[in-house]
Amino acid sequence: MDAERERGGGRTVARLIEKATTSTDRDVDPRLLKAIKSAVRSSDDELRAAVDSLMGKMKKEHSQVRYLAVLIIDELFMRSKLFRSLLINNFDHFLSLSIGFRRNMPLPPPSNIASVLREKSIELLEKWHASFGVHYRQLRLGFEYLKNTLRYQFPNRLERAARLHQQRQEREIRSMEILLNKFNNLKENYSSIKAEIQSTLDQLGECLEIVQNKEGIFSFSLEEDESEPEEFTSSTLWQIRQESLREGKKVSENSENSAVFDALREFYKLIVSKHLLSVQEWMSVLVRVDTTDKRFRDFAMKEFIDVRNLIQSARKKCEELGCVLPSSTPLEQEENDMWEEGTIGVPDYDNARLRDASSDNYVAIADKKVQELGDCGSSIDNPDMMDGKSVATLVVDKDGDKGASSEGTSNHESSVPSSLKSKLLTEAPVVKWGPFLESWGSKQDAMVNYRGLELESHWGRVEQDAVIPAEKIAELSSNWCLYEEQTIEIKPCLAPLKNGRLCQRRDLKVCPFHGPIIPRDSNGNPLLETSQRGGKGIVEEHSKDAAQNSAKGNQLTEEDEEKSNCEQVYDSLSVEESPSSGKGLMKQLAEQAVRNVRERDKEVRTSKRARLAKVREHNEAVLRKAAYTSTPLSSTFTEEGTSSDPMLPKVQKPSLSSMLRKKVTAKDRLTHRLLKTRVTDAAAKQLMQAEDANYREAYPNQW
Amino acid sequence: KPCVPPAAKLTADEDAPEEMWKEVMDREEGVLRPAAFCERVRRRRVAAIDLSNRKEIVSAHRGGVNSLQVDLTECRFLLSGASDGSAAVYDIQHPTDHEGGGRVEKHRCLFVVDKQHGHGHKFAVSSVAWYPVDTGLFITGSFDHHIKVWDTNTTQVVMDFKMPGKVYGTAMSAIATTHMLIAAGTEDVQVRLCDIASGAFTHTLSGHRVWSTLYPCSMSNKQFGLRDLPQMADGIMAVEWSTSSEWVLMTGGCDGAIRFWDIRRAGCFLVLDQSQTQFGRRPPFSESSLKQVSLSQLISMRETSPANKIVSHQKKPHGRGANKLPIFHQGIHRKGSNLQRLHPGMSSSRNRATAHYGSVTGLRPTEDGMYLLSTGSDSRLRLWDIESGCNTLVNFEATHLQTKSLQLAVTEDSSLVFVPCMTALKAFDMWSGTTFRVFRGHYESVNCCFFNSHDQELYTGSNDRQILVWSPPSEVIAEGDELTSELHNPLADQDQWSD
Repeated sequence: MDAERERGGGRTVARLIEKATTSTDRDVDPRLLKAIKSAVRSSDDELRAAVDSLMGKMKKEHSQVRYLAVLIIDELFMRSKLFRSLLINNFDHFLSLSIGFRRNMPLPPPSNIASVLREKSIELLEKWHASFGVHYRQLRLGFEYLKNTLRYQFPNRLERAARLHQQRQEREIRSMEILLNKFNNLKENYSSIKAEIQSTLDQLGECLEIVQNKEGIFSFSLEEDESEPEEFTSSTLWQIRQESLREGKKVSENSENSAVFDALREFYKLIVSKHLLSVQEWMSVLVRVDTTDKRFRDFAMKEFIDVRNLIQSARKKCEELGCVLPSSTPLEQEENDMWEEGTIGVPDYDNARLRDASSDNYVAIADKKVQELGDCGSSIDNPDMMDGKSVATLVVDKDGDKGASSEGTSNHESSVPSSLKSKLLTEAPVVKWGPFLESWGSKQDAMVNYRGLELESHWGRVEQDAVIPAEKIAELSSNWCLYEEQTIEIKPCLAPLKNGRLCQRRDLKVCPFHGPIIPRDSNGNPLLETSQRGGKGIVEEHSKDAAQNSAKGNQLTEEDEEKSNCEQVYDSLSVEESPSSGKGLMKQLAEQAVRNVRERDKEVRTSKRARLAKVREHNEAVLRKAAYTSTPLSSTFTEEGTSSDPMLPKVQKPSLSSMLRKKVTAKDRLTHRLLKTRVTDAAAKQLMQAEDANYREAYPNQW
Repeated sequence: KPCVPPAAKLTADEDAPEEMWKEVMDREEGVLRPAAFCERVRRRRVAAIDLSNRKEIVSAHRGGVNSLQVDLTECRFLLSGASDGSAAVYDIQHPTDHEGGGRVEKHRCLFVVDKQHGHGHKFAVSSVAWYPVDTGLFITGSFDHHIKVWDTNTTQVVMDFKMPGKVYGTAMSAIATTHMLIAAGTEDVQVRLCDIASGAFTHTLSGHRVWSTLYPCSMSNKQFGLRDLPQMADGIMAVEWSTSSEWVLMTGGCDGAIRFWDIRRAGCFLVLDQSQTQFGRRPPFSESSLKQVSLSQLISMRETSPANKIVSHQKKPHGRGANKLPIFHQGIHRKGSNLQRLHPGMSSSRNRATAHYGSVTGLRPTEDGMYLLSTGSDSRLRLWDIESGCNTLVNFEATHLQTKSLQLAVTEDSSLVFVPCMTALKAFDMWSGTTFRVFRGHYESVNCCFFNSHDQELYTGSNDRQILVWSPPSEVIAEGDELTSELHNPLADQDQWSD
């Protein structure tokens, strides 16, 4: 009874496994797998039957079956202890069937699946070894044997993960160190940093005061006005009024306060581009740093928040005053001006310097940067106090492009003659904006992952500290431009028509009614015919032409777009006019002679090429014939091929034999075309037939 | 008298715990004698031998392991010789370190002598042996024509014997009290006995034949139905001292002969002949059973082929009457009676009887010295009755043996024989020849095995450079382990059904 049940149970598992291993997929059907698992779980006898059946499958001479069996084995191996202990008994046999490490027992075909099977098995073996190696000596033995004796490459997942973890930790430690260094640096220089910002802010405040004081009376009156109409005007009207009042309140820049405004802009730029950024950076450092000196950290944090608020309020004031562009960060500014259409030669550089810098995209970006930095430099005495980044850019920019930078910095401080700059600007090449401008003259290496994100790419490990060298950046961001087709005007034919007008057809080369398009005068008479004619009539033709042209010289010069094939003639006519036409004639003669010689040369060459082409043709024909005879279907083609012109390649259906045939290259096609013009079909055929026999002797490298 | 046939005992390990408790009770009551009790426990343990997960020997060799021996005095140090010319000693009682949370005990070598050692062997070490008296010395024989005697404590060579050819086998007598001779089987057909005390060859025993004289060139291997017979091989592949008499040496040569030598006399006194047969083991020596057995022997002889009858008649008197005589006396007596004109030693040297087709690759006498097991390159395992010199005709089940020299092992009670069969080690029941167990674990062919009767452990050395320990499961330790650590260990060896 028990045995009966057992056998029946074993049968179900065996059937399930049989079904699961007969598919051609890369995976076991999950439903079948689940069924197998639940069946196996129900009793130990089922499990034993499963082991037997799976080992039977492993012995099948088909890699796909073995592969699926291995997948099922993995599922059960990871779950059932009994399964493990049963499988492990004959583990070397299992490994030889799944990995095929024994030379006398290679994995069965198909070979592509066999390699997949091997890889999968190795991977699974490593997994099993990692999870159960301690419990099963056989697992350890198999793993060690494959790894140390046969030197199989294991994916080594655990170790790799550990290594990654370690690297990440190292990186964190390093960044913490850097932060700590920064923090200590801040501690040392804290007072000077603060004093510097404070002084800039004070100066800015003073400037603002001066400006506002000047306008004080005016604004007071406005404010008085403001209070009155609150009750009785409609909201929209009131708003419009408010707007206009605000506009009016804004201090307009004029010749009197321009100096103050300049200073104001400078300070504004300084606090926005440098101090605000540095304060924000210091704040982030303070937030991230892990230090014992909590007191100083909190204190500095508070201070920096205050400073930041001050800066922001000052900035707001400046923006309200309208003395600066409301764009907040220099980055945005850059982006803005990138999209502006630039114009060359704005004459007033002294007054609207800032505007120029932003609007002028022909000036290199670095130039502008240096201007900004020059601003900073003018007010900051020791650049060491600045944070590392800005120092670096300053240094780089300063030695990066000296010509432009020195020009720029000196320009706004002591007004160097603006003519020099404008001259330079007019000389400067117009370059379209492109990403290459961003690293203009920069010799800095760039981080690959400059955003500082933790990216785990599924294509592989991401190296966080990878750096792109400066040369590579330069190479990557080299200037490029699209080829722009020059629009050419297609000239009208201009041949005289019967009705007295000129033909207005526009063809590229040949007018279908009047032949090749040649330069003609206003009456439609051709200016030159020499190029079309043979050599003998040239002298008379030319003399005639010359006489004609000399008469119509003036008209000719009017049609200045026109260009003839023989430019020299044209030149001689237009420049020298008629008196020295004899000289031109001599020239033409010489030219004609040269042309004749070349033509003869060409003819010789083409004939030679034709001969070679014939040789090639013949070889091809032989090949083709061979191909035809090899395929029974091609008998019709053969007849066609022989009856028609052997010189012309036939378009045939692609087949296996067609792959063996030689391909018709462009060169061959050219020679065909040449042959067509030179040699008639009949002659070629005759040639083929007659010389076919002689070929063997004449060209020993042919058939 | 509780005389249980060993084969019947071995299979009954299903309900081992109950039986064990019953035996303990019997012992307590005095029904079971102490020796018998020990015997039973041992037998049960041997039957349960399997690949040990707990004990792991970290092989120090970079070549196949050719020879293994545990020292005879403490049963603690395992000596191994490998084909990379290295020999190493492992402490098999005390692990050097643990792994996997104390689950795996690693036994690293105490020391290794290899090519880096100034006096190490240049070529493969084919055999190793402990000095039987203590662990202060051990000997190694190598293919570089040298046998070296090492001081274990200083790992220095104290004696170096230059042999005429590759050394295939070395042996020292475990029971010798009057001599300290190393028997060496080499490429040469002469067996040499090296004296550690004097550093000289004391004996050169000649009797084995050169292969070419044995079979004329016209006879090919196919005529014998043999696979890759080592045509070129010459010499002595296996050397063993008798376990019952310190003077008797057994050698197996490439000529297929197994010869017995009494080192006090000239020549060999016995050549085993595979055609001289008897059925099974002889009965235990007692007056009452003697008649019955001799009758059954007679019957068996009648059943054998007429060609064998003559031979059988020749040996009949020894099988019956001369049992009490010492072996050497018996041999001399026998030779003297048969071929009077020749010198006794000379007469047996003329004897061209063979024990195996092809060469004899391994020899192992049982612990009691009554039987001899031999393997040959004809892939046969034969059990010989030393007393009678007969092939016992035990048919050991189909095996496929390597043709190089093998090291066999026999359990203490002569119930099982362990034979390396390619990548597996097979345990055969000695008396029925049936396969008792197949030990799989090695990935390349197994060369040697050694049975440690003290711990009932088995050690195997293979071409995959591993030395594996096979031991009875230590249930107490395993259970204790599971109780403490399984609960906390996520990688515990338990069922993990997720669905």
